Amino acid sequence: MITVKNLSKDFGAIKALQNINFTISPGDIVALLGPNGAGKSTLMRLLSGYLEPTGGEIEISGRTYASHRMQILPEIGYVPESAPLYGEMTVFEFLKFMSAVRNLPTSQTSTRIAEVSEQFELSGVLNQKCETLSKGFKRRVAIAGVLTASPRILILDEPTEGLDPNQKYGIRNFFKEYARKNIVIISTHIMEEVTSLSSRVLLLNKGKLIKDTTAAHLSELSPDNNLETAFRSITNKDK
Amino acid sequence: MLKQTYLIFQKEFCSFFRTRLAYFILGIYLFLSMFCTFYLGLYFDVVNANLFSFFYFQVNILMLLIPALTMRLWADEYKTGSIELLLTQPLSCTALVIGKFLSAWGICLLLLVGTIPLWFFTSRFLTTDNLNILGSYFGCFLISGCMCAVGCMVSAFNKSPIVAYLASVLLLILIIVVNYNFVFDALNFPGSLIIRFTQSLNFFYHQSTVLNGQVGLDNIIYYISITVFALWLNRITIEYKRG
Repeated sequence: MITVKNLSKDFGAIKALQNINFTISPGDIVALLGPNGAGKSTLMRLLSGYLEPTGGEIEISGRTYASHRMQILPEIGYVPESAPLYGEMTVFEFLKFMSAVRNLPTSQTSTRIAEVSEQFELSGVLNQKCETLSKGFKRRVAIAGVLTASPRILILDEPTEGLDPNQKYGIRNFFKEYARKNIVIISTHIMEEVTSLSSRVLLLNKGKLIKDTTAAHLSELSPDNNLETAFRSITNKDK
Repeated sequence: MLKQTYLIFQKEFCSFFRTRLAYFILGIYLFLSMFCTFYLGLYFDVVNANLFSFFYFQVNILMLLIPALTMRLWADEYKTGSIELLLTQPLSCTALVIGKFLSAWGICLLLLVGTIPLWFFTSRFLTTDNLNILGSYFGCFLISGCMCAVGCMVSAFNKSPIVAYLASVLLLILIIVVNYNFVFDALNFPGSLIIRFTQSLNFFYHQSTVLNGQVGLDNIIYYISITVFALWLNRITIEYKRG
């Protein structure tokens, strides 16, 4: 379970996030929605432990980063927006490295790499250098990398960007299946993804959490029962 | 912690070979070392029982090449965004800093080992002072450790490897090449103890004794202190950027 209490993050004079509160339980697929600069990526970086908050705290299963960082991090799988990889490594070397840093026992490494490779259709590129991969493959390799040790919380910044429709369909189904026992948090601008995938929507604007609801309820806020219209009317209201 | 350090060391050390940077640096290092030894160092004109012609130029050569090894260690992580991936893994910041530093220092060890044939070559014509040469090699290894730590620290400040390279070379010039004796002389501290203390902070003073093969405990402590201090600054920088 993730509990966020009075979370705020400042970058100098810029208040990126202000007083954010929410709770996420296993089984939830949470979509972070908001216009550019709303604070979605900052919130993900804070949840993943990459950034430290200016105020407030994040509790993961009752533990905070400040006191239990090394115990929390194995439970988190975070893929940033740019899906960074080590270009000089082959896909297999990258997955092996990720398995090792995520403390997967050596005896299970090969099996797990084979599983995630099959899951994300990477078997054909295992011996290819990461720098030679297409954008879609890079993203899938990055996701496969964090999944080698099956983290309980998956945090993905725009996970389907650069994927073709078939890959998007496959990956969305995987997230639905994965979220049965775990938590999946995604950030996206694709409304269709929010509708089809998420069980909850956190709508951010100008660093504030302005809605914590479901996609269906959010859609109802617009006259035409459309999520995109609702998103535009809510986020434009403050301008 | 040890396992984490080893994983990062292994990743970075292999990366030097995967990107062929290690071969490139090794080639340039051997060329410059031999050029300086035989041509500038007048190898055949002076008695080289302690390989003076070779060790005399080592600090300057290493000062130009080590920043090329360390420049991308952190700067590339920030540039490509992989720092987000790395810092969200269950790896301690200390393990990351030490692992990256050791990988660069490991390459330095290979560079120095690559020049051992010169020692054998010399020993065929001269009665070499082997203990002295061994001491000089050890001294060079310690100095290269200092340079790696400073290079890693500077790399953590930058997103651009080129800026990291230039800044590292500049900083190393300021620390190593400039003889600060004139500053200490100008200050004209009273008392021999203070003079000895201020002298002991001078890189130039330690460098001259170490490269002559006379490595003392004071030299070892001095170089280890600089290395640890630079690595500590490196760790602070990484943590500060997260905050």
